[in-house]
This record gives sequence, C-alpha cells and structure tokens, in this order.
Amino acid sequence: MEQLTGYPRPDGRWGVRNHVLVLPLHSAANLAAERSAEGLAGAASVGHQWEGIEGDPDQERIASTLAGFAANPNCFATVLIGIRREDTAIAKAAVRRGGRIHLVAMADHRGTAGTVAAVRPLLERLLAEASLTQRRPMPISGLVLGLECGGSDALSGITANPALGVASDLLVAAGGTSILAETPELIGAEHLLAARAATPEVGRRVLEVITGFESAIRDLGVDVRGAQPTPGNQAGGLTTIEEKSLGAAKKGGDAPVAGVLGFAQPPERPGLQIMDTPGHDIEQMVGMVAGGANLAAFTTGRGTPTGSAITPVLKIATNTAIYRRLEGDIDLNAGAILDGEESLESMGRLIYRRLLEVAAGELTSSERRGNREFAISRTVSPMTAFSG
Amino acid sequence: MSVTLRGRRRRDGRLGARNHVLVLPSVVCANQTATLIGSEPGAVAVVHQHGCGQVGDDVAHTERAFLGSATNPNVGAVVVVSLGCETIQGRRLARLIERGGQRVAFVGIQQLGGTFKTVDHGRLAVGRLRAELEADGLVEAGLEELVLGIAADGATRAVRELAEAARIAGASVVLAVPEGARGDWEGAPVIGYGQAAAAGISVVEQAGEGTEQHLALAGAGAQVIVSLRGPGRAPQGFATGPVLAVAGDPGIYAALEDDFDLDGSSAGAEDVWRRVISVFNGEQTASEKRGARDFVLHRIARTM
Repeated sequence: MEQLTGYPRPDGRWGVRNHVLVLPLHSAANLAAERSAEGLAGAASVGHQWEGIEGDPDQERIASTLAGFAANPNCFATVLIGIRREDTAIAKAAVRRGGRIHLVAMADHRGTAGTVAAVRPLLERLLAEASLTQRRPMPISGLVLGLECGGSDALSGITANPALGVASDLLVAAGGTSILAETPELIGAEHLLAARAATPEVGRRVLEVITGFESAIRDLGVDVRGAQPTPGNQAGGLTTIEEKSLGAAKKGGDAPVAGVLGFAQPPERPGLQIMDTPGHDIEQMVGMVAGGANLAAFTTGRGTPTGSAITPVLKIATNTAIYRRLEGDIDLNAGAILDGEESLESMGRLIYRRLLEVAAGELTSSERRGNREFAISRTVSPMTAFSG
Repeated sequence: MSVTLRGRRRRDGRLGARNHVLVLPSVVCANQTATLIGSEPGAVAVVHQHGCGQVGDDVAHTERAFLGSATNPNVGAVVVVSLGCETIQGRRLARLIERGGQRVAFVGIQQLGGTFKTVDHGRLAVGRLRAELEADGLVEAGLEELVLGIAADGATRAVRELAEAARIAGASVVLAVPEGARGDWEGAPVIGYGQAAAAGISVVEQAGEGTEQHLALAGAGAQVIVSLRGPGRAPQGFATGPVLAVAGDPGIYAALEDDFDLDGSSAGAEDVWRRVISVFNGEQTASEKRGARDFVLHRIARTM
C-alpha cells in the first residue's frame, strides 16, 4: 500500500479532493450556481429547494447544513451565492467551520446573468490556485468516513454491511473516524450500540437520539413501517425495521462508540461516531458531508447510482446479480462473500484498501458519472403543514 | 367566442400555452439520470429532493404534486425516471399519469440495468414522444380556456385586483396562498391539491409557501402563473410553465431587475393581465428566458 496523500487545510483537516464548490444559499440562486460552474473542470455545484422564508422553524439546522457542506475539507474554496450582501450569517458560520469562503450576492448583479458573469472569473482564479496545490503525505487520522446503506435487501446485513464494518474497524484502529447514521435504521439496535459507548454519557445520548426519533415519528401519528422498510427493501426480502436495523448497524463494525453527533455536526474526536440523520439516502449523505466526511462508503442491495458533488462515494453491492446488472454504477461486489470467493474479513480488507485508493485520488463510479444529488433535511415540515 | 388565445389542443380538450416533454424523476436518486435524459433536445428535466423515506399523507401529497405537474396542459408528454426501490413507485406514478390522459413513457434504473442504459432508453422515449405530441395542433380559443394561477403570500390588493380583472375577462383564476391566509378568500370555493380549478375564482388547499405554490397551481391546470410576493422576495420560475414574476417592492426590483418581469409598485392589475395574455401566446417570461427549472415540492411530514 502506497502512502496515503491528500490536501492539508489551514485548520488541520485534510481533503481527499480539491474541488471549488458553488453553493446557492437560496433556491432562487440555483440556476446562477449551476451556470457558473458549468463546463469548468474541478468546479462543482449543487441546487436545493430552500428559500429561507422568515419564521422557518428549521432555519438553524438548514443554515448549519449549508455552512458545513461549504466548509467540507474536500473543497479548496467555496463560492456561496446569496440574494443580498447583508445576509452573511451562513458565510460566517462556514468560515468558522474552516471553509475558505467567497460570498457573491445576486442583488449586486441585477440577477442571474450578471451573477454568472461575476462568478465565472472568480471560479477560474480559484481553480487556477487550486491546481497549484499538491497532494501531500496524509495521516489516516485525516480520514472521516461516512457509512451508508441504501436500497437494502436481505443480504445487506449478511455481506456488504458487516464487510464494511470490518473496514470501518480497520480505519478506526488506524486512528481514523467513521460515521454511522440513518437513525430510523438504528431503531431496534439501540441497546447494542449503547452497550458499546465509550462513556456512560455517550451511551445515554445513543439511546436518547434513537428513541427520540422513534417518538417524533409516533407523534406524527404515522406508522414507521409505512416508509421503513421501503417497498424496495421489502421486495429485497426485508420484513421489519428491526431486521433492517440490525443489518444496517453492522456497517459500524465492533468499535466503541466514541461520540454522538447532531445532524451536520463535525466530530470532536476520532473513532466511531453516530450521527442523527434521516434514513433518506441523500439527506443522510449531505448531513455526513456537512459534518466533514471527506470519504464515504455506500452499500446497496437493490442498486443505486447516487453520489456526492464533493465527497467520493465508494459503492458496494450486497449481491453479485445487482453488481452485474447495474454495470459500472457500483464499485465493489460484496456478493463475492456469498459466492465463496471472499470471506467477510478479506472483503473488509479489500474495501478498506479501495477506500484508501479512492482517498488517494482514484475516481469512484458516481464521480465518473457526475452524480451530485443534494437534499436539505428538515425535522418539521414548514409551519403551515399540520393545519390541513 | 372572441379569439385571443393560441395554444396546443390536448387530447383531453384543454389548451396548453407551452408544449413541453417533462422528464420527471420519481425519486431524488434518479435526478442525475433524469438530467442526462433531459439534455435531449425538446425535453425539460426537473430535479427534486424527495420520493423516498416519506410516510402517511405526505406520500399521497407528493404523488399528487408529481401527477399535477405531469398532466398540466403545458406538458404534452412525460418520461418518468424511476430508481425502483423508492417509496413513490415510479411505475405506479406512470400509470396514474397515463390514466390522467397524458402520453407517458417509463424507464427504471434498477430494471434496465444502470444509469447509461436508462439514459439511452429515456432519450429514445423523448424523441418518440416529441414526434407524437405534434398531433396536438395549434388552435385559437377564447379567454374562458385560460386558467390563471396566482402565487401569493396573502390577500393583498394586487392579488384581488388581478384575480378580479381575469375573472371579468372570462378566465378561471386559481389562488395559492399559505394555509393560514386561505380564510381571507371568503366565498371562493376551495379545491383539493391536484384538483382542477373551478370556474371563477378558487383557492387551492395545502399549496405551501413560496415557490412550492407553483406546483399546486400547475396541478390545478394553470397555464400561466403570476407570482405576487411580498416585499424583498426573490423571483422564481417553474420548470414547465411561464411564471410572471412581479416584484413586491421597488428595492428588490432594482436589485434583481433582470430576473423580474414587472415592478409591482408601478404595474397595475391591467398591465399584469395584458402580459398574461401575451405570455400565454408565446412571449417568454424572465424565468423562461434564463432557463429556470424551479420545481419545489411542498411536504406535509418530515422525512424518515
């Protein structure tokens, strides 16, 4: 294994990519962000649906998501496009979280066309600067790995998830950080995770977060089983959320739980972390990336092509059939365990090695295809929602 | 009938002001595949952030929003792009769209075997549908075939005057306001989300706020939307229909002049109404010119 390399950031974190990101702060800036980044190699943009309407009860959570995403260490720099120049709160928060931030206000440029004309030369300058920075030898402790499963099937908990757990344990043992998330998919496994907590306080938080999510859903008056397992999970052989959870939690291996994080919150110490996120694949990924994940591993039984605009996502099939069927959308096949070609241990080591190769610069399937799904996570629906 | 509108006569008899082929992902995970299909000439791909991890009434609400946008008369055909394991099943959505009288093609990523095969199938479908929708001939019609959608924060004077001008001219008017402001429209019938606008002035239920309202109005059959937001609000469009963005105050108009169509402080109801007719007949709004593809879903429950 060659020496791991990456991009050191001024605040001590490490990037494994060197993107220049364009991020709208308001959905009215989506088009300007997209047009600004279009055709510029190394520039990435995402869009979202948040309008920052006054009185939004999720304002703080969403601002933190956008600030954290902008400050992810895989970004050499980030250009935020807002509406007014006075709206600086998110830009300031992103700077506090270690981002190199430029803020452009559409109101200073009469709208979309003028904004694009102003942002493109700025991007070109930042991209030129970014191209001059070189990869340096990087310690494993600089890796923050987001763990995810999506489109799970009955094999997820038998092949890909436990193999990823082996890889996560290897990373944690080497001083790195792993993030286990998808709170609804931990329902039913909370006692096992709490028992692995590094401190009683962490154990208490594990139970609090998972049971809290469950009761928030109960308060809505809906059955969690309406969404979990999803229709695809059920077709894939998963019958209950408990069954799905016991399989999902295996991504976190056997390491002690070192910390519990709020949505988009950065880890304070290395080791295995649990982040409180929805099970929605894209909201979860955005939460982990906003929390500083510079690398991600995503197991899938039904097969999904999704990725992230700034963090490389290594996708792992739970079965050989789906790996072959979605040719080229999935990076690794943990179905090899069932086929008798690999053991859980050897598959776990293989995943770990591929993760380090991806960190060192090898592109993943979703990077090659340009996947850049993005979604804003809410805890409540907008204020008028429950009146009907 | 006095002839003032020119549009596409749809198979269900309604009149379309635009002639789009909509590429609609049934779930966020299909966004990139839909976007690649949408690069085919004559197609408009939307992206959104939902379709999975939803529970309860929220599922039906999102399904109605998809269905409403897909069967709006400005859309002549739809390609549904599904992942396969999502909560809002793409295949079911395609069937509902077809039952709504619309031309539809279905492509599924898990079914067809990955991004590239799905993109190939989707692009072929766009080409085929594009040719088919030429059958919807350009016709002339009277103002009674116009459904004007008004997106607003409340029952302001500007909203009332525009709605009244349109009603008197014979058009139907459908209003989207935040749920708390719905009571301001005494006497106006309330239509369910996804139901067709009533004659005269009606108000759509659970329309949401801001740009979310555009989907509610499209679902009621509006061919032209006028956005009459309060002071300071930025202008937004809609992926498959014209939105006339009227600035809520002169300050925001000056700051974002290129993205607005009119300044509400100087344009009266008659000015806006005249623009509605010319926009119906082909004049592009600012959001259409810049290529805005806004498509914002209103949620009524949190994501799981």
